[in-house]
Amino acid sequence: MSTTLTRPQPVAIAESRSQWWTRHGLKLLTYGGFAIFALIIALPFYFIFVSSITPQNELFRIPPQYFPSTPTLDNFTRMSESVPLGLYFRNALIFAVGSSAISVIAAGMAAYALARISFRGSNLVYIGLILSVALPQIAVLVPMFQTFQAFRLVNTHHGLIIMMSSLMLPFTILTLVSFIKQVPGEIEEAATIDGANTVQILARIVIPLIRPALFTMFLINFIISWNELLYPLVFAQRAETKPLSVGLMELTADASTYTRPWDLMSAMSVFMIVPVLLIILFGQRLIISGLARGAVK
Amino acid sequence: MIRNPFRPITLQQRMTLIAFALLLPAIALRLFTTLYPFLQTISFSVQRYNPAFPPTRFVGFDNFTRLANDPVVQASISFTIVFVGVSTVFQLVFGLMVAHLLNAPFRLRGLARTISLIPWAMPMIVVALGFRWMFDDQFGMIPDLLRRIGIESRWLIDPNNAKLAVVLVNIWKSTPFVALVLLAGLQGISRDLYEAAKVDGAHWWDELRYITLPMLMPIIVTTSMFMLVWQLAVFDLPYAMTGGGPGFSTTVLAQKIYLEMNSLNFGYASAIGMVLVGIVIIVGGIGLFLFKRFEVE
Repeated sequence: MSTTLTRPQPVAIAESRSQWWTRHGLKLLTYGGFAIFALIIALPFYFIFVSSITPQNELFRIPPQYFPSTPTLDNFTRMSESVPLGLYFRNALIFAVGSSAISVIAAGMAAYALARISFRGSNLVYIGLILSVALPQIAVLVPMFQTFQAFRLVNTHHGLIIMMSSLMLPFTILTLVSFIKQVPGEIEEAATIDGANTVQILARIVIPLIRPALFTMFLINFIISWNELLYPLVFAQRAETKPLSVGLMELTADASTYTRPWDLMSAMSVFMIVPVLLIILFGQRLIISGLARGAVK
Repeated sequence: MIRNPFRPITLQQRMTLIAFALLLPAIALRLFTTLYPFLQTISFSVQRYNPAFPPTRFVGFDNFTRLANDPVVQASISFTIVFVGVSTVFQLVFGLMVAHLLNAPFRLRGLARTISLIPWAMPMIVVALGFRWMFDDQFGMIPDLLRRIGIESRWLIDPNNAKLAVVLVNIWKSTPFVALVLLAGLQGISRDLYEAAKVDGAHWWDELRYITLPMLMPIIVTTSMFMLVWQLAVFDLPYAMTGGGPGFSTTVLAQKIYLEMNSLNFGYASAIGMVLVGIVIIVGGIGLFLFKRFEVE
């Protein structure tokens, strides 16, 4: 018996197996990977959400329950009674809308100057603005707090908005500069020749053209400031200015697990998550492009 | 001849003036919240300064010798470095895997991209408190699930496991963000390169080694630099998840600054802040050096 006759068979099997893998293996891997990924991301939300509708007496049970026997909204009712929820919600909204509006306006103006006007020191200003993001916000908090006291900015909405919008400026400028540079400048040049001044060019041509980018950065900055804890924790010490993030932290003040009101905390967490989830569902495409642009360029 | 002080300025001068007018709000905000308090932090760091115990006086480097011998500072420096280093490495590795998933042509791709935005958009404090509950030794789901498959585990009451838990949650929080950034990089690589490689009989790891990684290198370097520098300042995750405990095992430098600031040790807090800034400068410097090298290539 010669080896030449028996050899082709195993090779043929191996080939068909590899063909099966190239056809189905990648698909299997992709869907399997997706399932694992989605599960890992979703699990914490499942637990937070389920806790929020579990009656208080079922929540502290050993072993834990994975689904409440009698789902209830009671936690939400009691949470809204133990925290000035409406006030904190209003404060969070003022803080997030104000900070994202100011940061987008200031960054839009700066980005236009950096992307379109050539002047001495342009590069230096740009690099300085971007690098300033590296300074940890907490490292300079002591003098910042004193300055705020001196200017009577502690416990004010505008004080918080100044801090937060400044924090978000570098990334917003970076993203908007890269966006404006992609828009061809000929229309503006033509308008200049026709005698339009800078304000007219900005209002009539530039802003309409970069409106999607401005809106994207507004959404991204809204989410970032909605979630911010450190600045409000330090600069909002009275109920009139505290946002939801600080309110949630206040709920945890009790030191031990037995007394920590997880029923109320999970309800407030859900309350805080919902607006962010809506923004994501509504603007996911814009947000993904906005986040990626800053890093890629 | 006397120059007319009212002579019309040149176009170049006018443009420079307009540019700085546009830049003014952004620059003013940044200077007010970074450079100015930073200079003050430097001056506070060499003073014995506690508003509850006046007088304030110059003490040279006393604060720095004190922090060099402070076991909490030493522990928090080493945990900060481990936290940031380990997190960033795994965020990049998992991020690259998830980026491939998000780039794969399959029916649920849009859903996968939306899902990957969720951890980024979640308030860190909600995430931290949610995981605190899930890791809880008595009522938590994670120890319970592990017990069901025969693993006894103690998380937040064991110093080493508490560190592990905090790092895991941080990886969970930011891996999808890194993935979205790397996805933008992947989309920028020409399909032709992979087609050519396939014709030459390249395996997937050849493609990864010789096409994907080299092409992504500039983005990987920028992203890791950003993640390193940014996560050095993370405060809210350990603050809300473990409170820095048990003991001081999960205290990061940022939280130590916050603790000292709350005890009104303003001079000492500023000195620790300077150490944090020093670490940021070292890490950022190495990053810039690497970035220059890869950009030249």
